[in-house]
Amino acid sequence: MSALKRVQQWATFARIWHIYDATWQNPFESAALLKKYLMGLHKPIYHPLADCGDHVVVINCSEIALPGDEWKKRVYFHHTGYPGGASWTLAWELHKKNPTLILKKAIYHNMRGNLQRRYTMERLHLFPNESVPDEVMKNISNQIRQIRPVPKRLDHYTEDEVKEFPKLIDYPKDYIIR
Amino acid sequence: MQFIRATTNVVLSNSSFLKLNLVKTIWTSKPSYLKEVREIEKGSELIVQGVNYPSPRENYLLKNTNASVCPICSSGLDIKHTDVLILSQFVRSDGCVLPRRITGLCRRQQKRVSSLVAMAQKAGLMSNLTPANSKKDPKKRRGWKKYNKYFDESTIKLK
Repeated sequence: MSALKRVQQWATFARIWHIYDATWQNPFESAALLKKYLMGLHKPIYHPLADCGDHVVVINCSEIALPGDEWKKRVYFHHTGYPGGASWTLAWELHKKNPTLILKKAIYHNMRGNLQRRYTMERLHLFPNESVPDEVMKNISNQIRQIRPVPKRLDHYTEDEVKEFPKLIDYPKDYIIR
Repeated sequence: MQFIRATTNVVLSNSSFLKLNLVKTIWTSKPSYLKEVREIEKGSELIVQGVNYPSPRENYLLKNTNASVCPICSSGLDIKHTDVLILSQFVRSDGCVLPRRITGLCRRQQKRVSSLVAMAQKAGLMSNLTPANSKKDPKKRRGWKKYNKYFDESTIKLK
C-alpha cells in the first residue's frame, strides 16, 4: 500500500469534528441536518454497521428560534410511571430549565429507535453559549452552514446605515415627524 | 432649538402671558424635521418664524418607475419581516405604523406592511421603535416572549 493510499484510508475512517452555531436556528430543521453528520450519512462509505459517524459540537443552544407562538404551543410530555405521574411542560419552560434540552430531544427523536441511537448521541456535544472547553475546540476541523440567516436588529445597525438606506416613501410636505 | 407646526410669522410682544398662551395653542411637543421654528427677539418683540426644512429622506429616495401603482408594488420587492431597514420607514418612533394617507401604499401593501411590522416587533427586531414605557431589550420580556422567534410571511392573509 502506497503512502498516499494509506493516508487516504486514515482520512476515510477518521472521526471528524464539526461545529454548528444554533443562533436563530429552528431546532427541528437543525436536527434533520445534524443527524446526517452524527450517523455518517453524508459519507459514501455509510453502512448501518460501519460506525462511521462524526462528532458534532453545537454552540449557542440557548439562542435557538421557534416559529410563531410555538414556544407556548409545543408541549413535552413526561410520565413518572406512578398514577397521576403525568406532566406536561411547555417548550419555553423546558428551555428555561435547560437551554440545550430542546435541541437534544429534537435530534434524539429524529433518529430511529435502535440500539445504535444512544451511542450516536454520545457524539453530540451541546453547549448553551459560546464557551467550549479547549480540549473539545482543538479537535474541530469543519463548520456546518446555518439553515436560516441570522436576522440583524435595527438598533445594531449604525445610524448612518439606517439613514443612507434607500427609502421607498417620503413624508408629505406638511408632515411633522414623530 | 424648538420645532413647531406654524407656517406664518407670528409677532408677539414680550409679555410672559402671551408666551405662555403661545406654548399652549401651538404644538411644540416633538421635533419636526420638515418644519422648523426660529425665535428672534428684537427689543420688546418676539418673532416666531416657521420655515420649511428639507426632508432627511430626500437624497435617498428610490425612484418610482411606475407612478400608477404604489411605491412597494412598483419596486417589485418581496419584503420579509427581517428587513427592518425597509419596515422602519413605515413606522413612527413609537412603533405605530403610519396611516395610508401618509404612506401612499395600496390597500394590499398597507395591510402586508402592518403585518410585517407586527412580526418584526414580536421577534424583537425593531425594539428601539417602541413606546417610551416599554422594555427595549427583548431579552427582558416576560415568559415565553423573551425567546427568539421567527415568522412565516405566507401566513399573512391578503385578498
